[in-house]
Amino acid sequence: MDFEMSDYRGNKVISLAGEIDMHSSPVLREKLLAVIRDRPQRLIVNFSNVSYIDSSGIATFVEGLKHIKAYSGRLQLSEIPKPIMEIFSFSKLDKVFEICGSTDDAVSR
Amino acid sequence: MIANVTVKVLSHTKYLCLIREVTARFCSICGLDEELTGNIRLAVDEACSNVIKHAYLGDTSRRIVVKYAVSKKEIRIVIEDSGKKTLPEMLKGRDLNEVRPGGLGVHFIRRVFDQVTLDPKKKRGNRLLLIRRTGEQNGL
Repeated sequence: MDFEMSDYRGNKVISLAGEIDMHSSPVLREKLLAVIRDRPQRLIVNFSNVSYIDSSGIATFVEGLKHIKAYSGRLQLSEIPKPIMEIFSFSKLDKVFEICGSTDDAVSR
Repeated sequence: MIANVTVKVLSHTKYLCLIREVTARFCSICGLDEELTGNIRLAVDEACSNVIKHAYLGDTSRRIVVKYAVSKKEIRIVIEDSGKKTLPEMLKGRDLNEVRPGGLGVHFIRRVFDQVTLDPKKKRGNRLLLIRRTGEQNGL
């Protein structure tokens, strides 16, 4: 799994690539929570290059969401590929996360 | 049975990608469509992750055995370990309306397999039997 941070129009964007499983999710968790510790008002996670996610990966984002909501920040997930979106929907998490079609869509909300 | 494959790996998370790859290839060879193949791959990955986490408590030096078999009617996958006993109630997932980290893996397993059972005859460790009836989709 690759984790890349960037700024887009004043917003923090994490771009992920590859597979998120029980092997990679501890690294993802550490990096995600480190970003959230800086209390960004809006954090966008781009999923366009993510090919796989398991329950440990999903749990990482649920944990991140709880941290970010604690200070009234926003965690937006963008460009989620269809098979991964289906996992979020099955888990009823599509109603919990703010899911956006693109990074521009996320910023415009 | 028409085809049988057995994979033995150490209980380290770095081997999960290997199990996923074999699972996906096996399902593909059996003629399953992309969506069902993806769902079975996820379920087997979750089951093996549970072995590492709950049966072996993170010990990376133990062994996981995954056996795949296909017949005209079904795909049968058996996952064996020699770790701590899994209680049958652990195969019930949490309420999906609860929003909290963890507890989703069992749902991913149950949604794709018609039968999910622990072999009570296995004395040491666990033997998880997963059966998916394939009907006409099975191309063998």
